[in-house]
Amino acid sequence: MSAPSANRPVNKRVLMLATCLCDAYFDDAAQATVEVLEHLGCTIEFPEAQTCCGQPAFNSGDWPSSRRVVRHTAKVFAGTAPIIVPSASCAAMLVHGAPLEFEKEADKGEIDALSNRAWELADFIVNGLGVKKWPGKYQAKIAFHTSCHSRGTQSGQATLTLLSSIEGVEVMAFGEGEQCCGFGGTFSVTFPNISKGMGDLKLEHVRAAHPDVLVSGDSSCLMHLSGLAEKEGKPIKTLHFAQILRDALKNGGMLAN
Amino acid sequence: MEGWGIPQVAEKPSNKKIMNAREDMLGRVNKALAVLPERAPLPDWDAELAVAQKLVANHDILEVFVERIKLVNGMMMTSVAEVAAFLKNGGWTKGYCDPVLLATLETQLGSGFSLTSEFDRTRIDDYGFGITRAAGGIAETGTIILNDTLTSRRLGALTPWVHIAVLPKEQIHRTMTDAVKALSADPNVIWVTGPSKTADIEGILIEGVHGPGVQIALVV
Amino acid sequence: MSVSPIDGFAANLKQETHDAVYKSTKVTHEKRTKLLFDHFPDANRLREIAGEIKQHVIENLDTYLPKVEEKLKANGVQVHWAATAEDANQAVLNIMRKRNATKIVKAKTMVSEETELTHFLEKNGVECLETDLGEFIVQIDHDHPSHIVRPIIHKSRREVAVSFEKNGLGAYNDDPNVITQRARVFLRQKYLQADVGLTGANFVVAESGRLVLVTNEGNSRFSLAATKCHIAMVGIEKILPRDRDLPLLLNLLARSATAQQLTVYTEFITGPRKSTQVDGPDEMHVIFVDNGRIDVLASDCRDILRCIRCGACLNVCPVYRQASGHAYRSVYPGPVGAVLSPLLAKERFPELADLPKASSLCGACQEVCPVNIPIPDLLLRLRDKNKQAHGPSAGTPPMGAWSILASQPTAWKAAMAMGGAVNYVPRILMPGPLRKWQDVRTLPPWKGGAFRKWLKNRPTKKS
Repeated sequence: MSAPSANRPVNKRVLMLATCLCDAYFDDAAQATVEVLEHLGCTIEFPEAQTCCGQPAFNSGDWPSSRRVVRHTAKVFAGTAPIIVPSASCAAMLVHGAPLEFEKEADKGEIDALSNRAWELADFIVNGLGVKKWPGKYQAKIAFHTSCHSRGTQSGQATLTLLSSIEGVEVMAFGEGEQCCGFGGTFSVTFPNISKGMGDLKLEHVRAAHPDVLVSGDSSCLMHLSGLAEKEGKPIKTLHFAQILRDALKNGGMLAN
Repeated sequence: MEGWGIPQVAEKPSNKKIMNAREDMLGRVNKALAVLPERAPLPDWDAELAVAQKLVANHDILEVFVERIKLVNGMMMTSVAEVAAFLKNGGWTKGYCDPVLLATLETQLGSGFSLTSEFDRTRIDDYGFGITRAAGGIAETGTIILNDTLTSRRLGALTPWVHIAVLPKEQIHRTMTDAVKALSADPNVIWVTGPSKTADIEGILIEGVHGPGVQIALVV
Repeated sequence: MSVSPIDGFAANLKQETHDAVYKSTKVTHEKRTKLLFDHFPDANRLREIAGEIKQHVIENLDTYLPKVEEKLKANGVQVHWAATAEDANQAVLNIMRKRNATKIVKAKTMVSEETELTHFLEKNGVECLETDLGEFIVQIDHDHPSHIVRPIIHKSRREVAVSFEKNGLGAYNDDPNVITQRARVFLRQKYLQADVGLTGANFVVAESGRLVLVTNEGNSRFSLAATKCHIAMVGIEKILPRDRDLPLLLNLLARSATAQQLTVYTEFITGPRKSTQVDGPDEMHVIFVDNGRIDVLASDCRDILRCIRCGACLNVCPVYRQASGHAYRSVYPGPVGAVLSPLLAKERFPELADLPKASSLCGACQEVCPVNIPIPDLLLRLRDKNKQAHGPSAGTPPMGAWSILASQPTAWKAAMAMGGAVNYVPRILMPGPLRKWQDVRTLPPWKGGAFRKWLKNRPTKKS
């Protein structure tokens, strides 16, 4: 879908875009992202004025509104440093969505420059920093959901590379891995029946693998799936992969405090 | 039931419309494409990419052909005796035959068969089998190639339950790419890959729909 | 709050129909994937190249259309141009009238579904019979196809058996073998009694004027062997540049459509029958059909014209699997339909406005498309176009307000801090989208501002 360019900046001084979902709900995933990057020797700058990548409005077809948010984001993340994003869908928005909606805009050049600096987290760790083996330990059977926005990118493979390299982790295969979880942004509330149908189907396949935890690089997918599971009285444990990486370090006594 | 087709645009004088249809359409195509700063180029691609390499790796074309035709539920035979036994066993004794092959096959099939080189299209169900000449084959896909030049009657090859295509083994191409290169000036070439089939009802594979239910390559 | 028509259709779909569609699409998709990658380890590269070839064609139709016309004419084919559905249908009728023909047998062609050819011909005193088994069943049932390649994917054998009985094709029998044989017997004489055979074309090669027809049942071949006049209705976008491009597209088409290496019949036609051949048409016509395609060509969604009608996108689409084809209320369902149907509907776009939205933008369609159409991007463009033309549809959260909030950091941070109230508001009092969310899912506890606070308050890191 959206192949990030091959010549994105790699640097240990990075900017972090936490994502609006982490800002609102998943503070520990964002926290783990910081801890993981710092373990790798990165210095993280978190521009306080950040809000959202603009994806919700973009997907809804309200491109003018989306562009307003993207312009704000471009201003807030000005500079040349790599922008690390713990979400495949937000990264895809910056890499692919933003250039698409700015095709005919006068400031297209600025937005292209912004998009060229964006890295999804696992992609950055494995393909930016070249880290393919993750230290520490984490004892668990993991079902890994490759979120749809990582299609056409290296993120899914990168995440699997990291997770399966952790001592104690067993990655469980499950059926229909290519099928979407059903979140789809506002799709989840404008097509609620289909969204639920898709989510239920995904949960069925995941559960059949009997994992200890369902992991993804997209908190939105996890929010949708865990919300469905909890509502039907059969909650499942979900974690962002950054949390697994951080906890592996912790378990290995390698997390600086 | 109401259609889902496209509703008609407001009426214009019909003969004027038809006369100018070509100019109108080409004119609008030109206008539509005028906005493009440049046109997508035709990629220069290596013909080998379109070959399923591992399927044709075996040097023996005939061996590849045998393997592939079996996979599509076609049958390959190498002697008329084999054909005779098969037809007898299935109870197909009356058939249509290419006039060029008639004399030879009548002899070789032996007694118990009634062959004719006259195909009566008002009596198509009289013919249990049809024997015609193939123009070639494709090993990569297990395909029999028919064309207008060598097929004495299109209906003779298509309408009987059993079709036997007489195929000289040196006419079998290794790949689809080779077979496309050999598409001659014949106005009608058809690649036949197994017996006719459908999976329209619940995805269940049924062989023998409007064409033959048994497709045989008699490789000579 | 009412849901979109497609979502409503999915909610009310009979379990039996849902299961039939789910099972069939899943099996075909998985077989397609295995076969394609087994035979071509670099299959994605093939899809890319095929996509480039088709994109090249559509962006050069101004050259290719006259070129292919010239070649067809040189081959003895009569060429017609139809700007509208009405023109296309009328062209067919005119050809028939000129021949005093009253009976036509037709093979499967989606273009004829667009123009509602059969209905038009019947209104004008012509007997028009579908010969593809699935389309035949659709015709006798007065139904609509629900899939581009598998017209009756939504039907059970029981339903088909009932139809056959109702239409005088024998006492109730739901054995697929029996049903198929009955259709075979019934249709055999019809081909032979017909005056004209109508087909579409999967490809028309500009260099040679060759029409390529890809089928399985033998109905297309029978139509062309038994009748004396061949009419091919062809969308203007069906052109391929050269014969050498055929192996690439043929390899992709059958695997993508039916998980076969090749369909049973791949027919290459450059003109009426050879003079030494008794069977077959003396006369051949190609009708190039526009019917909205040129408008699509002029739009920024022109990439959809690459489509070779394989149906692979339908088979992998999670939304199609949940809703089935009739939910799309148009000739083309599924991902391709979600783009093409609203565009071809022109001023009726608003009626089909939910189609481009019926997608989570997962991109599975693009990943299986043999010509690599960026369908999610096209859906997004249509959403933009629709919003600009018609405003937001019911139930969409207010993005304008959201974007103002998301471009004002102070307000944003305040909302993050205060949003904790949402943990305590009863569902019934929540704004629409949040309430809809919670109809089927719980919300996680609000943690607005927690990360920022942690970041600010952590002890200074020692390097």
